[in-house]
Amino acid sequence: MAKTQLEEINRNIYDFKNKDDYDYKIKKGLTREIVEEISKQKNDPDWMREIRLKALEIYNQLEMPTWGPDLSELNMDEIATYVRPKGKMASSWEDVPEEIRNTFDKLGIPDSEKTSLAGVGAQYDSEVVYHSMKEDLIKQGVIYTDMETAVREYPEIVKKYFMKCVPINDHKFVALHAAVWSGGSFVYVPKGVKLDIPLQSYFRLNSPESGQFEHTLIIVEEGASLHFIEGCSAPKYNKVNLHAGCVELYVGDNAYLRYSTIENWSKNMMNLNTKKAIVGKNAQVDWVSGSFGSHISMLYPMSILNGEGAKTEYTGISFAGKDQNLDTGFKVIHNAPNTSSVVNSKSISKNGGKCTYRSLVRIMENAKNSKSSVSCESLMLDDFSISDTIPTNDIRTDEVEFSHEASIGKISEKTIFYLMSRGISEEDAKAMIVRGFAYPISKELPVEYAVEMNNLINLELEGAIG
Amino acid sequence: MSKELLNIKDLYVNAGDKEILKGINLKINKGEIHVIMGPNGSGKSTTANAILNNPEYTKVQGKVELEGKDISNLKTDEIARLGVFMSFQLPEEIPGITVTNFLKYAKNKVTGKPVKIFEFKDELKKYMDELNMNPKNMDRSLNVGFSGGEKKKNEILQMLVLNPKLAILDETDSGLDVDAIRTVSKGIELFKNDENGVLIITHNNKILRSLKVDYVHVLVDGKIVTTGSQELATIIENEGYAKYKN
Amino acid sequence: MEKVKLNQTPVRTCRNFKINNIDFTDKIPSRIPDFHNVKIAQETGKDEIITDYEFDNFEVKFGSGLEDQIKEQANQKIKIDVKSKTDKEIKVEFDFDEENLKLVDYIEIVAEENTTSNIYIIYRNKLCNEVQDHCDDPSQRCSGVQCAPYKAYHNGLIRIVANNNSKVVVNIINLMNKESSNILGVDSKIEDSAKLKLNIVDFGAKTSVTNVYSNLAGKEANNLINSIYLGTDKEVIDMNYIAECFGEKSNINIDVQGALKDEAVKHFKGTIDFKKGCKKATGNEAENCMLLSDKAKSLALPMLLCSEEDVEGNHSASSGKADNKEIFYIMSRGFDKKSAEKLLVRAKFNSLLEGISNQEMKQEISYEMDQKLD
Repeated sequence: MAKTQLEEINRNIYDFKNKDDYDYKIKKGLTREIVEEISKQKNDPDWMREIRLKALEIYNQLEMPTWGPDLSELNMDEIATYVRPKGKMASSWEDVPEEIRNTFDKLGIPDSEKTSLAGVGAQYDSEVVYHSMKEDLIKQGVIYTDMETAVREYPEIVKKYFMKCVPINDHKFVALHAAVWSGGSFVYVPKGVKLDIPLQSYFRLNSPESGQFEHTLIIVEEGASLHFIEGCSAPKYNKVNLHAGCVELYVGDNAYLRYSTIENWSKNMMNLNTKKAIVGKNAQVDWVSGSFGSHISMLYPMSILNGEGAKTEYTGISFAGKDQNLDTGFKVIHNAPNTSSVVNSKSISKNGGKCTYRSLVRIMENAKNSKSSVSCESLMLDDFSISDTIPTNDIRTDEVEFSHEASIGKISEKTIFYLMSRGISEEDAKAMIVRGFAYPISKELPVEYAVEMNNLINLELEGAIG
Repeated sequence: MSKELLNIKDLYVNAGDKEILKGINLKINKGEIHVIMGPNGSGKSTTANAILNNPEYTKVQGKVELEGKDISNLKTDEIARLGVFMSFQLPEEIPGITVTNFLKYAKNKVTGKPVKIFEFKDELKKYMDELNMNPKNMDRSLNVGFSGGEKKKNEILQMLVLNPKLAILDETDSGLDVDAIRTVSKGIELFKNDENGVLIITHNNKILRSLKVDYVHVLVDGKIVTTGSQELATIIENEGYAKYKN
Repeated sequence: MEKVKLNQTPVRTCRNFKINNIDFTDKIPSRIPDFHNVKIAQETGKDEIITDYEFDNFEVKFGSGLEDQIKEQANQKIKIDVKSKTDKEIKVEFDFDEENLKLVDYIEIVAEENTTSNIYIIYRNKLCNEVQDHCDDPSQRCSGVQCAPYKAYHNGLIRIVANNNSKVVVNIINLMNKESSNILGVDSKIEDSAKLKLNIVDFGAKTSVTNVYSNLAGKEANNLINSIYLGTDKEVIDMNYIAECFGEKSNINIDVQGALKDEAVKHFKGTIDFKKGCKKATGNEAENCMLLSDKAKSLALPMLLCSEEDVEGNHSASSGKADNKEIFYIMSRGFDKKSAEKLLVRAKFNSLLEGISNQEMKQEISYEMDQKLD
């Protein structure tokens, strides 16, 4: 893979905000009228409009989560669920309106596209503003486009898979998502096609007091393989923004999908995202997840291992600072014989931040000879932060190997002393140890993201350690 | 220029509430190799840690001078940058940073000069050859998954690369086989010159055989009970510490 | 049937993980007659033991959820005031039979400063009087379901205060039969440099609900909890263990070992909560469940909650069948598979049984274990 060297990143590239300048912004709140208006604005076919209206009904029936972070700051009456940016979706950056293009330039997206990506999608507020993929992949039948185009051009595929992996009544924010979803990416990799460089979609929420509800639907057919990268960021506003995206992954027999996320939402964001994968026979899905941003996150990617011999790995890190409550983790259902899961989770809490690892490992009666191994480590950087580990292990049969390990603690004084004895200052030593702690995750990321993650860690540590 | 490198004056050190060192005096000049021997728990490692001001230990009285400068209360990294190195008995494992990157970074901190990567790698390669180290270790995370012997060799490698004025080897030979001990001795010979000094803490005479040791100190219950020449080490090897204990 | 939610976890998780509490469906009797079969013995004679103790109104921070019944209807109320400094035994034995089917007990143990104590609290069905065909060793107690198929009910609370520098060992042994219901709360407070060791053997009842809460209040408070459980048939075992560390350098160690046969189900909820200020506290929680059947189920929620930086917390959990290599090794020495599995379960339980000083008690537990494993 081509390696790009990124310059030192500073927070400004995430925090710069453009004027709230849109083509159309729906009024705040959530009513049937608003949902119908979104559907009209988006030119939905009838079947999609019906899904939206049904989802709204379900949303109104479901209660808020009875567990996890306090969501009382979220008031749906204050959130605009649809903001259409200026301009139409383009397949060349030249055609993207200048201000929006500048945003993605600063985030380094077009540069990465040239050097290390097979295709790029870019969403600004509620709509995808750019989508493009390398010519040879188109020839091999790979589809990579925005969800709206997919609904129009591939209705049969979308109907078959949309909200089937994640049912609309899964929880309240899934129902909300289904009612007001907009944007997101659709990827279809035909049988046997292997992409050796990744596709990436980047989501940017610029508009204040609004929500982003992108839908990502990825189908990797039998024997195919894909690495998909998702990046997200937003500038900080004083009022709450909401992200309730939904990711549905279908991994066919013998197929492989790696789904990487670097999430750096601004610290006024409620990030209530849902991600699930259905994994076929001898297929594998790997999740790599870095959570740095947002005010509150509730995010538990889930692998449903339906095919015999299916595998999944979750590698995740979260880093919570001041005013952040990151409730993240992983869920896996072993639903066939000889399946396996490996979980490696790390968290860092500092400056009053709270990290929670919450998980479920469920091994069903029929999942004979399955294996699951879970490891989670939490690092506390001061004595007024919080770190909780809440794993549920549900083992329903005997012919399995299951193990779970967790630890919590601070940076070892001995290790600091060792590094200082080599002339390294205490601050540098701690930063080095934290980066080392995060290394098992950063090594799983494409190099640009690993560099970005290390820079984020340095940024987060500045002033926190002394 | 004075020949004096390290001077420990009447040093009392506690670990928690426990008194470990009870009045140590030790002077090391440039060009000298000193050895501290002593039974378990006598305060050998504490002496090494106290020189580097490990925060787990408290200096109750006395001081430590390096080239006439009082370093008793400096931070560990400052002491390291003044030219003191310690080879750890149990080197820490640091995942996520390679041996090369770590040493490059540390060398830059210790010398205060930018490190030229190609020259540096050549230097590293040269020393690794001398120490019979697997060159692949350069790109592995620091000490992670290293065997006991590899860790100790890696300490000696760090010593050679950082080229301190005073190298303290805290039981670097313990747990090593004959060949590895020979390699460590070789590393010390390679390092040693008229301008630097070495303080070896050991249980074991083997590491000393090929070295020209100037002084052997016997530490019992926090005090140096006797000092002699290299022969003292042989005597202790044969007779033990019994006669120095009360 | 009426459902009561018992054993709430201190922190909730997703509801459909079905572990925030247990739906208790056994009948909770409204009328509690007297219970006579209680034996209390002490070896030293120096400790003060009060029966019919009129306890004050109490509140427990965490509990099984059936404390009100104890407040209102307790038919056994015992206070043990420990004054002696030996590990001589104090023994409280409750035996269920047809005339004594319902026990609601309140036991308060106060270990005064600098004392040492070794206390046994035993719940079991009474020795059957006649030798019957199925009794392979009539001198021994049997699991009793064939002999005495009665449904006993037990709801108890054991409150323990370990004052400064006291050393307390409390062995809680449940050998009730598999028709019965068992609900037990243990609520402890551990002061400066006090040591409390809880040995818990949970071998009985159709439904066994145990709530163990430890408040490590004092500096260098130390609490060791060793539990073994053995589930057979369709037994349900629900354990909710919560330890809160407040004291500096306090130490909590939870070790839960168990095996499940047939269609038995176990829920283990273990929480170690490092509260702000508990500098240098350490906590370890290990949970291991051996599944001896493909229909047995193990559900576990080992939580670590932490609001203090300078602590060390670890937990580990494992489930699954007995290690194949171990089984193979033992079988190669001439054991059949069943004996090999039994041997491994026994090996697992050994560390706890070693901690039980009373030889007779140890034998009784071993015998019950063998009966249940057969």
